[in-house]
Amino acid sequence: MAGRDVEVIVVDDASTDQTAQVCRSLNGIKYVRVDRNQGVAGARNIGLMHSEAEYVTFLDDDDLRIPGSIDLQIRALSEKTKAGFACGGMIIVDQDYQPTGAVTHPGYPSGDVFWHLLEFDFPAMGLSTLIRKECFLRAGLYRKRLDGIDDWDMLVRLAEIYQAVVIPEPMGIYRQPTAQSGQGSSSYAALLYRVAQHQKQLFKLPRVTGAPNKTKRAVRRGTLNRISDTLLARAAFLMARGELGLAAENIKVALRLRPSRACRPQSYLKLAQLWLTRPHMLYSS
Amino acid sequence: MARASIIIATRNRPHLLPQAVQSAAEAGADVEIIVVDDASSPEASAANKSLPSIRYIRLERNQGLGGARNVGLLASSGEYITFLDDDDIRLPQTLDEQIEMLEREPRAGLVYGQAIIRSANARPAGEYPRECHQGNVFWQLLARNFIPCGSAVFRRSCLSRIGLLNDSIAGIEDWDLWIRIAEIYDVLVLPKPVLIWRKGEADSSQYTSRADQMVSRCVKQFREWMKLPRVCDAGPQTRRVVLRRFSENMMAHLLYESSRAVRHGHALQAMKNLAVLPQLSPLTILSLARFRLLRLERRPIENVATVAK
Repeated sequence: MAGRDVEVIVVDDASTDQTAQVCRSLNGIKYVRVDRNQGVAGARNIGLMHSEAEYVTFLDDDDLRIPGSIDLQIRALSEKTKAGFACGGMIIVDQDYQPTGAVTHPGYPSGDVFWHLLEFDFPAMGLSTLIRKECFLRAGLYRKRLDGIDDWDMLVRLAEIYQAVVIPEPMGIYRQPTAQSGQGSSSYAALLYRVAQHQKQLFKLPRVTGAPNKTKRAVRRGTLNRISDTLLARAAFLMARGELGLAAENIKVALRLRPSRACRPQSYLKLAQLWLTRPHMLYSS
Repeated sequence: MARASIIIATRNRPHLLPQAVQSAAEAGADVEIIVVDDASSPEASAANKSLPSIRYIRLERNQGLGGARNVGLLASSGEYITFLDDDDIRLPQTLDEQIEMLEREPRAGLVYGQAIIRSANARPAGEYPRECHQGNVFWQLLARNFIPCGSAVFRRSCLSRIGLLNDSIAGIEDWDLWIRIAEIYDVLVLPKPVLIWRKGEADSSQYTSRADQMVSRCVKQFREWMKLPRVCDAGPQTRRVVLRRFSENMMAHLLYESSRAVRHGHALQAMKNLAVLPQLSPLTILSLARFRLLRLERRPIENVATVAK
């Protein structure tokens, strides 16, 4: 549905439930069964091995693509041969696929988006991005040890070499984990902590080492501020729901990453306001 | 589409690569050679690129051996796959022989062969491995990696079931892949040399200095291997024996590397190597003495595995 000439590859990462039967009953897909659990990054790499197309995109099993979105991205990429990938917006829905009202959009123009991506200031995920497959042959594949943040790492490495096309329309529908779904909040704090840690590794990329120290410091500061703001906002949100343990965890990570920011009273004040006015904003980064 | 793919990852060694590529071209009848250039310097890349009858892929950023080989896997199309290091030499026609073995035995996923070890002074140092295990080699392989990387040929279809190389365990990514293949598939062997294998130069401290890190990494990865379904299903006795054998192998390696470091005057490195010993099973020292020094006969590991079942 998302495009006219599309092959769909389903990689079943050693599921133990009825996934195999469900997949066999689906028409028009290429089903790849993995017998030993690989994690997201490993499964994506296996999917890549099986794909024959010129462009690839990755979709999680609970997310959706918007009809025609792939055609739109293919057209954009074929017009701009220097670009390596095309990004778009995402519509955020809750666990029951009800719109939360939030729509993310990479708020930067097409071209070089490396520094924005590196700063974690560029909301792009597998489901909103179409990548030229040959780019993987120059930038490398997904990294297995980075499960959970593997698509951010991949996009940063792609953006270091290639330009991006940014399309204003939403490309996919992202089903966000909420506090109720269990998996959400506490692991989200851990995920953001890993982002902050892994950014140090990404700072070893040639384009960063070649940049002036001032730029590096600004990027690092921007990332840590953004992450600790998000964590504090989530903490405020969780506290209001009475989930004090999770809230404490979020604050703890924020304190660890950016003590100066997390100790400021005004950051709590500002974020409490933000939460009161637009609660869905908390998830949109 | 070629029948077999030979994937050669290289980095900044344009003087060695042509020999490896030449030998790869003569190894089999219907072979594609994929050279993955892991961000070599521009001069080296230019030299590599000009080699005849290869598919050349250049990585813009260094991905490490595992990452580079994975990219090679993505670019390859052959039904049978083998890796070759840029300083190794495949012997003529050996690849075809190994592929025929795999075609005769549909249950096998991998076939390996022996390697002729060539040290720096070009003196042949014998064939490796001396004992060629065959069939169900999973347990032996957990204790010790006896498969020379360039000698192994495996089916592409294995990868869909067990995944690609793990790029986060530099130095043992091939061992990890063989273990994961042997867990599900039988392993065959062609009991003759298929490869000339250049071992790390004896005088260079480079290899020695990494022994402690390497063993730590192996110990860490061994814990992951112990989580494989087949290990979990085996009895506690088997697990104990495998751990003992693995520790014994690691300890022997550490002691050897330490004595070598001392001989070359790197006393500090020898201490570092020995500092890793406590990570290993403490009773290992006894079995090391029993089997390596006194050379007592011991039960093969697969007997233990069947008894335990």
